[in-house]
Amino acid sequence: MDPDTPHVAVLAVHTDVVEREEHRSLEEMIFQASRAVLERAGLDRCALDGVVLSGNDQVDGRVISCMPSAGPAGGVGLDVTMIASSGEHALVYGYLRLLSGQGRTVLVVGWGKPSESVHPDFAELVSAEPYVLRAVGMNDTLAAALQASTWITDGGPSGDDVVSWPLTRDDLPARCDGVYAAVLAVEGSFEPGRELAWVHDAGWSTDRYEMGARDLRVQTALAGAREQVTATGCGPAGWTSVEIAGPSEPAVVAATATLGLADGAAVNASGSLASAPAPAHVAGLARMLAAAGSVARREADTGPPAVAAGIGLNGFAGQGATVMVFGEERKA
Amino acid sequence: MNRQHVGVLGVGQSEYVTRRTDVTFPELVREGALLALADAGITMDEVDAVVFPLAPDALIGVGNGERWCVEALGASGKPFMRVNNGGATGMSAIIAAWTHVASGMFDVVLVAGADRVSESGSAQSVLNKMWDVGYERPVPLNTITMLALSAMRYNHLYGADETDMARVTVKNRRHASLNPKAHLRTPVTVEEVLASRVLAWPIKLGDACPSSTGAAGAVLVSERYARAHGLHPAWIRGIGQNTETFWMGDRVGPRSVSDHADADALAVAFQRAYTRAGVTDPGRQLDVAEIYAPFSSVELHVIEAAGLAAKGEAPRRIAEGHFALGANGIVVNPSGGVLCSNPIAVTGVARLAEATLQVQGRAGAHQVADARTAVASAIGGDHQFYSALVLSDDLEEIA
Amino acid sequence: MTTIPAPAAGGPQFYEQTWDLSYRHALGETTSAFLGALAERRILGRRCPACGRVLVPARSFCDRDHVDTTDWVEVARTGAIEMFTIVYEPFRNLPAPPYALAYVTLDGADTALVGYVRGLDLSDKDAAVAALAIGTRVEVGFADEPQGTAADYWFELPAGG
Repeated sequence: MDPDTPHVAVLAVHTDVVEREEHRSLEEMIFQASRAVLERAGLDRCALDGVVLSGNDQVDGRVISCMPSAGPAGGVGLDVTMIASSGEHALVYGYLRLLSGQGRTVLVVGWGKPSESVHPDFAELVSAEPYVLRAVGMNDTLAAALQASTWITDGGPSGDDVVSWPLTRDDLPARCDGVYAAVLAVEGSFEPGRELAWVHDAGWSTDRYEMGARDLRVQTALAGAREQVTATGCGPAGWTSVEIAGPSEPAVVAATATLGLADGAAVNASGSLASAPAPAHVAGLARMLAAAGSVARREADTGPPAVAAGIGLNGFAGQGATVMVFGEERKA
Repeated sequence: MNRQHVGVLGVGQSEYVTRRTDVTFPELVREGALLALADAGITMDEVDAVVFPLAPDALIGVGNGERWCVEALGASGKPFMRVNNGGATGMSAIIAAWTHVASGMFDVVLVAGADRVSESGSAQSVLNKMWDVGYERPVPLNTITMLALSAMRYNHLYGADETDMARVTVKNRRHASLNPKAHLRTPVTVEEVLASRVLAWPIKLGDACPSSTGAAGAVLVSERYARAHGLHPAWIRGIGQNTETFWMGDRVGPRSVSDHADADALAVAFQRAYTRAGVTDPGRQLDVAEIYAPFSSVELHVIEAAGLAAKGEAPRRIAEGHFALGANGIVVNPSGGVLCSNPIAVTGVARLAEATLQVQGRAGAHQVADARTAVASAIGGDHQFYSALVLSDDLEEIA
Repeated sequence: MTTIPAPAAGGPQFYEQTWDLSYRHALGETTSAFLGALAERRILGRRCPACGRVLVPARSFCDRDHVDTTDWVEVARTGAIEMFTIVYEPFRNLPAPPYALAYVTLDGADTALVGYVRGLDLSDKDAAVAALAIGTRVEVGFADEPQGTAADYWFELPAGG
């Protein structure tokens, strides 16, 4: 990479998670989260050089989600781009914006409010293509179960808490309403020490849509993303912890193997998929912000500098995967 | 800014038509990808990353429709993301691809996509769901009425009328008749436009874009890649985006900062692109404008926002024959523009594609003589998301 | 595996599918209060403490200044047309034409409210267009039994005006 490429830091993160928010509109939640993260970063929105948004039209019932949300996110008068493929891609895109020299600061906001959907599962079903998969009712849970079935070695669960064999309720991600916001900034644009974490690198990749053409046992997209960050010296060998959003707990376990983590690296310290709920569209973003927050400089910390990765798996059975690596110290 | 210059190595467009029954949506996307790759003279193997433009999922009927198109794009195993900025999606995706390259992470980035609005039996009622849940959806706003409101207000403020709007259609249809890819290619007269049926006054059928099916794509490359391979892409010299308030009712009256009659926030996006490109006098320095205007009325205020005419002056300039193929000075929408072809998700990609062909002298019958520089723009949301970029055939200072 | 001749397609096939997605949107307290006031035939706005504008319909924050709005303001039921359109084209799942829509700045408000214009003969387009010219004064009409939704109100030309 160009030696002039700036170092990028996460200045602040803010998450607003509610099991079921009935008192505030989605737009009000976005406004409040954006205000909060800007305050935490010590920035006026007018000082921003861009805003990156991510929402899912079907989950929230907004046909072009960026329309009602750009204003509450503080985007009036600014360059606003919605990255609709997933919240984790929005954070990556915010990072790319700064690397490309488009200003010194960017606000990234992603959200999901499945409680507005009368049948959130049905909103998921429309992600199945209409010719074959929709007819069989394919959704995230079924796809995750098909994938998990390929990893079964012991006959699988037999209890009555099976949702879609071999997955039980505890194996599946819990959902909630949530808005996730972060301010990224290039070095020199903020007071040193003000940063929460430094971005070391990002990698993202995708596998095929057709599950019949994939080997679901192998997390191909995740392996691709891992290779990208490994190539720049930011691979899993150096991570002290990792936060993984996956379609199932077996997928998280498989991901730790796919990544090849160092001994002692903490996995999902912020909670299991079932105990740390997030909207599907931004579950990866949530884990990335958790990872960034986890490396924040601590008093009386004498160990080696923390490096944490946030991992998102998006689409049926982790069709897509994103890795973002954060460090307590600037990338060497 | 511009650590790395970013070039446009190749562009592709299918013909734009009302309906395609021979292909699925991903197969149509694949057409856009293959056309762009062929024009660039590379294969998918050389592509480092893919950016996919797709506006509302509801119009193609598949949620997160980008994931369905990964195979068609040859994106499997590559970094891939989707942009949705409404009608500006195509150009925002180009700007996102520019960002991928300018970041230094990638040398070759593909943008390709498609739309087939005709698959949605109720596009305008789907698009009504763009508006505010509590206040605006109970009123039948849609993309036609929102711009009818703008058109009538423009006409009122500047003393323009439906004949001024009709002249835009006449110019663009004549241009489209020379463009084999355009959807509406039959020339029309002012009288015919004025006699066409009223959709939402003052917008008549003759003032409106078609619902188009088609595909488009582009390959963006880094300067180091172009030099290493001895290639001569067109160059993106400046980009700019800006965003307006969502609330159309906030764009009127003495306390508004921009008027729904005008495209003031788009003027800011143009200015951002011009500043980066070193353009100070666009009407003189630029040869071609491929600007997003799905209704005749929109072209009037976008010409003004682009700095090609003073506010309220576009109707007179068009009546005098300016901005048309063959006229002296900058030509606006030599392809026939969005008014003659509007495949929503890739309409902004098509603007870049046409601008590229023009600055490289490859536009065929609708070529602007000796064109070297161009500006392209797009609009999304309820006249809310604005994108602009400046293109030239070399990296010389734009004089 | 055996290679076979291309099967006869018999012409393109189509799948008719409908997205039957239902939502129960949380409107928030500010929008809820605005709609509640409609049931009392009152139109409310919120004042932005930074720019001082009275935003109608009422919003809990100002997108220009990115701050919470602070005060409730009741605005008049009269105002002036800022822009309008008359729709003559039928759109699937939208009301049958013709109908007129207008944005009206009510007296005391700084932003315009959208609504139908009722009580006007739209069959003569030119006459209707002239009657609704920008700046024309209108009044807010209310349903006999307002339900607290944005469908409760509309605009109409003053009687005898």
